[in-house]
Amino acid sequence: MASSSSSGITFKLHPLVIVNISDHYTRLKAQTLHSGESSSCAPPSNGGTAGSALSAPPRVFGCVIGVQRGRTVEIFNSFELLFDSKTHTLDRAFLEKKQELYKKVFPTFYILGWYSTGSDVEEADMLIHRSLMDINENPIYVLLNPAIIHSQKDLPISIYETELHVIDGNPQLIFVKSSYNIETVEAERISVDHVAHLKPSDGGSAATQLAAHLTGIHSAIKMLNSRVRVLHQYLVAMQRGEIPLDNSLLRQVLSLLRRLPAIESEKFQDEFLMEFNDTLLMTYLAMFTNCTGTMNDVVEKFNIAYDRHSRRGGRTAFI
Amino acid sequence: MAAAMETVESLVAHIQALTKPEDVAQLHSLLKQSQSDEALRSQGPHLAPLLADLDPAKHSLGYLYLLDTYLSSSISREQVAAFLPSIARFLNTCSAYHIRFASDKFISVCRCFKDQVMRQQTPIQGIIPLRSAVQKLQNSSEQLTTLHSDFLLLCLLAKCYKPSLCILENDIFEAENPKDLFLFYYYGGMIYIGLKRFSKALECLHNVFTSPMANLNAIAIEAYKKYILVSLIHSGQVPPFPKYTSATAQRNLKNYAQAYLDLTTAYATGKHSEIEACIQQHIEKFQSDNNLGLVKQVLSSLSKRNIQRLTQTYLTLSLQDISNSVQLNGSKEAELHVLHMIQDGEIHATINQKDGMVIFHEDPEEYKTCQMVNQMDLSIQRLMSLSKKLTAIDEHISCDPAYLTKIGRERTRYEFDDFDSVPPKYL
Repeated sequence: MASSSSSGITFKLHPLVIVNISDHYTRLKAQTLHSGESSSCAPPSNGGTAGSALSAPPRVFGCVIGVQRGRTVEIFNSFELLFDSKTHTLDRAFLEKKQELYKKVFPTFYILGWYSTGSDVEEADMLIHRSLMDINENPIYVLLNPAIIHSQKDLPISIYETELHVIDGNPQLIFVKSSYNIETVEAERISVDHVAHLKPSDGGSAATQLAAHLTGIHSAIKMLNSRVRVLHQYLVAMQRGEIPLDNSLLRQVLSLLRRLPAIESEKFQDEFLMEFNDTLLMTYLAMFTNCTGTMNDVVEKFNIAYDRHSRRGGRTAFI
Repeated sequence: MAAAMETVESLVAHIQALTKPEDVAQLHSLLKQSQSDEALRSQGPHLAPLLADLDPAKHSLGYLYLLDTYLSSSISREQVAAFLPSIARFLNTCSAYHIRFASDKFISVCRCFKDQVMRQQTPIQGIIPLRSAVQKLQNSSEQLTTLHSDFLLLCLLAKCYKPSLCILENDIFEAENPKDLFLFYYYGGMIYIGLKRFSKALECLHNVFTSPMANLNAIAIEAYKKYILVSLIHSGQVPPFPKYTSATAQRNLKNYAQAYLDLTTAYATGKHSEIEACIQQHIEKFQSDNNLGLVKQVLSSLSKRNIQRLTQTYLTLSLQDISNSVQLNGSKEAELHVLHMIQDGEIHATINQKDGMVIFHEDPEEYKTCQMVNQMDLSIQRLMSLSKKLTAIDEHISCDPAYLTKIGRERTRYEFDDFDSVPPKYL
């Protein structure tokens, strides 16, 4: 059903849409799980149906809105819609009401299409797609795959358009996948960053926050280090003649090097070294305390084990 | 007799033949075997010329065996004295790998060497050979051998402290013989006192009397007396016994050091007259312990301590006032004292000679140099390795049956309904 789109339209997706869709899905999933559990406590005759309701994750539906300028489609926002599973249609009245409300706040936004969750496009989706065609001649279908696959590095989001293809002599609309870019406004970047760093509720103490902060810095520095190392190896190989010279790359490296060091003055050196020494002193102090603690333990145990006249009476803690 | 000589010569031939590293084990067994039969030992006094044939660097093990037999046989003192240079050469050039096969023989050779050198009253002759001997015998710089204390003794007698520093500065983590440890740290403390590095001296002496000991020994008592004096000189007070001092030491040491404790109380008053009176009172005791020099240093340190106390109260002070408050004789002497202290780095000040004022400063170290970074880095590395060792020791002790027995016994006495993580076989 999917081959790459040839319409030449560039799609720009904002992260707000992704967060909205995933939030909608998670909420619904949590609600159905909860209601599924409570209904399974009901008479066991219902147990079978309740169980089957739990196994299939619910699909969520909604609309995406944004702006189309020339050949660029920018998807800014989204809202949820109720899906009537009996008639396989979206709730039209609600959609129109929502559209009016949004028009008042964002006059430039149009309904560009709809979204859903799942792993792949399904047959029933075409019906929904056609029903939206009277609002927008060429709606887009944003599909989010909620399954968490740890090996997959890309976003599990795909955007589909419809194209008229001739199959077996009959012109048919089929879904074709299009590529997209992620576009962020500054505000969105901050919120995505914040969401990305959310920790579970018991990580609120200062120590774990500090550890998380330092871990972030550590991984950033590690990445920088590995990148510099790759560059260095490449340059060394070039120097030895194993790789043909690439002048444009060399020019880039040279411009990078010319920009360093960023600050070079005596005052900066002094301040920098002072702060460095302060941090070293703190590390030293931490190590000292650690060491002293261990030493204390060792001495206590030694005294208990070997000193013939160690004090009796009173509890000694079993360390 | 001829037969005995022959066996010896064949032995020498063997030694000369087996020089490759793989043959050392074979050579060693051969030598051990020859040691047990009488032939070699009877030939002891005549081995000298044979030894001249062997090269100490290449044939270290064989040389060692023959040397040991020679020295332990009945030879006269003059012969030993004449042989001294060869022994020194051997100690300097022998191969560490070889001699570790027969370490006890090596130690006895060194002992003999040291005794001879001491008898001749020229301890300085023995310093360099013994130092190389120590470095060759120890498996790592953290191990203490019997030779360490002999070496330090020679350095002390010769009043030649510099060569010993490289040995003293290593941290010791393994020791075989407690007496070696005591002697090593006692002599080490005395060397540091001679070098006037009082903080390191305190460390060494501290190690002597806080070592685990079941019964009190004389070395610990002497070390404790010197410790009191040095800590008075260095910091003006004697710290109480740390937690890890053995109970024996804690209870009994003070009884033997009464004179010194009186000196401590006199020092605490801060008056010259009191201290002098106390010294006069116990002067025979101090003299018999050979500590009179240190005691005199305690007296002179009093003025230093008082000047240091002044830096905490005043920003500037005239020399006359200093000499008045510290009970010195005149501003000239005060100036001399302050000058010495500035040179030693004990205080930070400038003397304005025009109007005789002394201005006290803060510590000018601002911690913004690269050297400071390096220094701290080194200290941190040292701490990390120490910490690793400590955790290893901690785990080791936690599994020690003696510890578990004691813990288990106490726990069953007082805690009944706690989970019993000590297996019953230890109770």
